[in-house]
Amino acid sequence: MNTIKQMRVQRATTSSRIAMTIGLFLLLALVAMPWWATSGNIRWAIELCCYIAIAQMWNLLAGYAGLVSVGQQAFIGVAGYMLFVLAQNFGINPFVAVILSLIAPAFLAVPTYFLLRRLDGPYFAIGTWVVAEAVRLATSNIDYVNAGAGMTLRVMTQYSQHEREVAFVILCAILLIVTIGGSYWLLRSRHGLALTAMRDNPVAAASQGVNVGKLRLYIFVAAAVGTGFAGAIYYMAQLRITPSAGFDPFWASMAIFIVMVGGIGSIEGALIGALIYFFADRLFGEFGSAYLIVLGILTLIIALYARGGVWGLLQKLGDHPWFPVRRKLILEE
Amino acid sequence: MQWLDAIVQGVLLGGMYAQYALGMALMFGVMRIVNIAHGDVMILLSLIAVSLAGVLPFGNIGLVLVIVPIAVAIGWILQKVILNRVVGADPLPSLIATFGLSIALQNLMLEIWSADTRSLPNSDIASASFQIGPIYLGLLPVIVLVCAFVIAGGLDAVLRYTRFGRGLRAAAADTEAAAMTGVDPKRIYATATAIAVGILGLAAIFAALRATVSPSDGPAQLIYAFEAVIIGGMGSIWGAFLGAMVLGIAQAVGLRVDPGLGILFGHLVFLLVLATRPEGIMARKK
Repeated sequence: MNTIKQMRVQRATTSSRIAMTIGLFLLLALVAMPWWATSGNIRWAIELCCYIAIAQMWNLLAGYAGLVSVGQQAFIGVAGYMLFVLAQNFGINPFVAVILSLIAPAFLAVPTYFLLRRLDGPYFAIGTWVVAEAVRLATSNIDYVNAGAGMTLRVMTQYSQHEREVAFVILCAILLIVTIGGSYWLLRSRHGLALTAMRDNPVAAASQGVNVGKLRLYIFVAAAVGTGFAGAIYYMAQLRITPSAGFDPFWASMAIFIVMVGGIGSIEGALIGALIYFFADRLFGEFGSAYLIVLGILTLIIALYARGGVWGLLQKLGDHPWFPVRRKLILEE
Repeated sequence: MQWLDAIVQGVLLGGMYAQYALGMALMFGVMRIVNIAHGDVMILLSLIAVSLAGVLPFGNIGLVLVIVPIAVAIGWILQKVILNRVVGADPLPSLIATFGLSIALQNLMLEIWSADTRSLPNSDIASASFQIGPIYLGLLPVIVLVCAFVIAGGLDAVLRYTRFGRGLRAAAADTEAAAMTGVDPKRIYATATAIAVGILGLAAIFAALRATVSPSDGPAQLIYAFEAVIIGGMGSIWGAFLGAMVLGIAQAVGLRVDPGLGILFGHLVFLLVLATRPEGIMARKK
């Protein structure tokens, strides 16, 4: 007769176990940096972590929720400014203020989403840009934050360089865990299935019972907070923020380059893209506008011919996901 | 009186924005595509005009006759090489492709023309003005406004009464059904983009006559065009024209309140319209 077969759901793969081990090792190495790396290298690591986080958040928006934003700099700027105001004007410990400053992007994201949700895809994108420009112009007119001249984080002088570095690497590690780990957790959860369905076809997803509007709002706010977190850390490390830097549209360009080149719609893609962008910037950044022409054309070509980016090409060679989100049913005899 | 003057100057400024916005309204209405490089293409045409003006002996009218065909050609190439590949239900590819183009164009212009601001040599029209009651009107801004009005009227008539206009409206409503009835969507798209960029050619010359242009000015013009289109009502030609007037007035009034607030007022009026009347001021009631 029929034997009842045991079944189990397999999620991890060999490649994912290797990737997870390497990831944990890298995270430990990052936290240990103040004891083995130079200050210059630590600054680079902070920058790279911020790039990865900002790109990962944009990937979540554009790659899964179908919300293409070119105004993520709004959240970078407001979180950075909130941090500077809390630490400099209210005297709150700057390392606590980093966390508190995340209220600002969340508060900005909710009305932004409700204003812009009525706009069609491409119009939504430019709408986010307008919001970012409006916030930038408003900031440059507020004397309380020193208007267009910007603010300096003088309170940081009370900590020694070593203390600051330790705090920064810990913050960066938290940032990566929250953005990459958070995305991975989200994509593996019930909402992840809904998100993947939405990515493939929002109308079909809605007909299957996915509350597309609500999920989009959550993702928009979560991405704003994640992006703001990276922005607050970045400008805390810079010790200075101005409206033209904090709300620079180049932040959005960078996120788009990274995700498109790395491969949209996958966590691996954002990581690969961030590494490519970071090293390309170090190697070719000195060429200035010529380098940016190449980046622009590269983005254009990828949008036209290779939408999967580098990760898409790698996947054609073999299916070795670092962050598998699929479920595989295994029958046991 | 100061406020009346602000409103009049705002309407004149709106004439300039209308010229940016009409092409965008046309392209979005037909293809559901927003060309992020819209402003950068305009700046490129301005800079070409400035460079040509130094070489060519004929005046501004001659310049228009040279630049507009160049613009039409750029529009046609843009459609054939890039936009035709990204037209579709998914807005992402067209956004990203034109975004990459925008970054590349901005930096290419920076390489060729450097970051200096440039303008067309001062001619008589640019500095002439006349007076109506207590208000002074520049001759050039009035010409710009009249041109914008004529273009809007012309576009509207083309959409309503010509075979191309009917095909375009059909393609906008349902591409596949239009194709079945003998409309060639790709050709309609190419013509629409060529017209849209052609209008930008005229706008480019006016922009370089009115004020200065530099390679990094494109994104701001894109945003003004976009705001005008949304304020007016998506896809409507006269809506884009009126939206540009509203935006111009908002900026001119803001400028009188405080010199730092002009552009911000424009953004705020845009957000206000989005919050209270998201279908735009010209949209028909359903």
